[in-house]
Amino acid sequence: MAPTLEIIKKQQTEDIWDEPYFVNMGPQHPATHGVLRLFLELNGETIVRCDPRIGYLHRGVEKLSEFRTYAQDMLLTDRLDYIASAANNVGYCLAVEKLMGLEVPRRAQILRVIACEMARIASHLLWLATHALDIGAMTVFLYCFRDREWLLDIFEMMCGARLTVSYPRIGGVRMDVTPEIIDELYKFTEEFPKRIPEYETLIDVNRIWLKRTKGIAVVSGQEAVNLGLTGPSLRGSGVPYDLRRSVPYLIYDELDFEVAVEFEGDVYARYRVRMKEMREANKIIRQCLDKLSGTEGEPVLAENAPDLLMPFGKIKRPQAAPHPKKGYVVRGVELPVVPEGEVYVATEVPKGELGFYIVSDGTGHPWRMRIRAPSFVHISAIPAMCEGQMVADLIAVIGSVDIVLGECDR
Amino acid sequence: MSQQGIFTRVFLLEILKGLSLTFRKLFAKPVTVQYPEQKKPLAPGFRGRHALVRDPETGKDRCIGCYRCAQVCPAQCIFIETERDPETRKRIVKRYEIDALRCIFCGYCEEVCPVNAIVLTEFYEYSGYSRQDLYFNKEKLLQNWDEFIVTQKRPYFNPFWRPRGIPVEKLPAPKRKAEGV
Ligand code: SF4
Ligand code: SF4
Repeated sequence: MAPTLEIIKKQQTEDIWDEPYFVNMGPQHPATHGVLRLFLELNGETIVRCDPRIGYLHRGVEKLSEFRTYAQDMLLTDRLDYIASAANNVGYCLAVEKLMGLEVPRRAQILRVIACEMARIASHLLWLATHALDIGAMTVFLYCFRDREWLLDIFEMMCGARLTVSYPRIGGVRMDVTPEIIDELYKFTEEFPKRIPEYETLIDVNRIWLKRTKGIAVVSGQEAVNLGLTGPSLRGSGVPYDLRRSVPYLIYDELDFEVAVEFEGDVYARYRVRMKEMREANKIIRQCLDKLSGTEGEPVLAENAPDLLMPFGKIKRPQAAPHPKKGYVVRGVELPVVPEGEVYVATEVPKGELGFYIVSDGTGHPWRMRIRAPSFVHISAIPAMCEGQMVADLIAVIGSVDIVLGECDR
Repeated sequence: MSQQGIFTRVFLLEILKGLSLTFRKLFAKPVTVQYPEQKKPLAPGFRGRHALVRDPETGKDRCIGCYRCAQVCPAQCIFIETERDPETRKRIVKRYEIDALRCIFCGYCEEVCPVNAIVLTEFYEYSGYSRQDLYFNKEKLLQNWDEFIVTQKRPYFNPFWRPRGIPVEKLPAPKRKAEGV
């Protein structure tokens, strides 16, 4: 008999068993935020070992991207972290633009920052909703979805899609905003800071919430760095590392915002960081809207930006002038679409540091693209965080590092 | 423990605060939409079901068979076949099909089409009992347009036909002076 079966039989027949036993959590578990399977070794209710098994949502995005042009690859990045797709798009476009040496017009940069921060708020709202629901607070879930819906409506006005927005494009953004969208965004930024206290009244001092989150899965700053955590999960441990501040891209260096940091390093601290970040993101959108009025009427696409219809291989041009006697000596010249080289660009998406490493061989498609996904790293940190905790706390731990399996499995 | 602390602990103040918030919400304006009866207005340019624009003058589609949409489509779900008219040497689009099940609704096709022949309409309620139902051929695509345009204010103009803020040099000539139908 297989050892697992033996253990199960023993568990059924004997009253007392002291050796650890095994439980499969997932892949179809509502609290795993997708299809994550955790293989748990338990001693009573305490976790001895936790072993994440990933790959249930693998679509081969990195490999697929080698068979599509750069413009088409941008649509694949929507499907990484589908909750904050605009932020992924911006990260990818920045990487390609760095490779091509493109200068993005200022108005497009501001619009990209707005889209990024809207995605950040939407992502954190969804995170708060599901995290609270996992721990047992149902009402917060409904309130968060109410406000997220508003953001999705604004996305719909901006570019015609709600979730997989594909709003930026290489060299700019797809479309300019209309005055109605700006009005709606102003309304949102006015109203949203009043909505955050609503969530906080419900859970911030609620004793059940505090019992479930305070002192759970404590990670010190040093440990967090060693585990490779980024984003709010790292800042919850007191490390003030934010790529928007430390390696400013787009127009983040002109904006006035604070990097949200908490020092306790537990689940509650990570929750506080995200709440602070939502307020900061709201502030950023507000500042960007003010800046936007100064760039009225400017184009949102760079002059030398590639078309959506990019050539897949190298551009083939006939020789400029035929040789007077021999005719065409060389049958055409091959020009690179994108300069050869390699590039790594990391951006701060709601989950952490999202990096795109692209190797180009001059053709219109990446030779190799590698995505550094924050969720992947965060999942690998879960075993270290939940060892010695109770099974029920595992839910809080998974929620607190904020993973999206679409991004982890790619 | 301070007196305040004991007071909060005994009377569950924070829970009462939360309950009063939810109680207030009982009388607030509901944000839900009773979906099949009520519908949320869609933003112009929503990327929904495909349609081929029926030209009001000729009564036919506008497609010139340039294959740009089929080339740019990241899901490769547009199939086109063309042939030359033996007399006038004009290109005739024999077959134009879209597999809506493979489409990812990116809107690239309507953005690159030089004559604005294809459009993603603001219509999202469609389903089928088989795969064939969602495999649109040319007649079905034109029919989609007829079904869609009667619900719209004329002239109808899709934002993707001439994206706002894109410099004119980046657009093909017919798109620069695109007009509503
Ligand atoms: S919307 Fe995108 S995926 Fe769908 S048919 Fe057009 S180009 Fe292809
Ligand atoms: S891009 Fe427009 S004109 Fe060209 S084949 Fe497609 S639908 Fe027809």
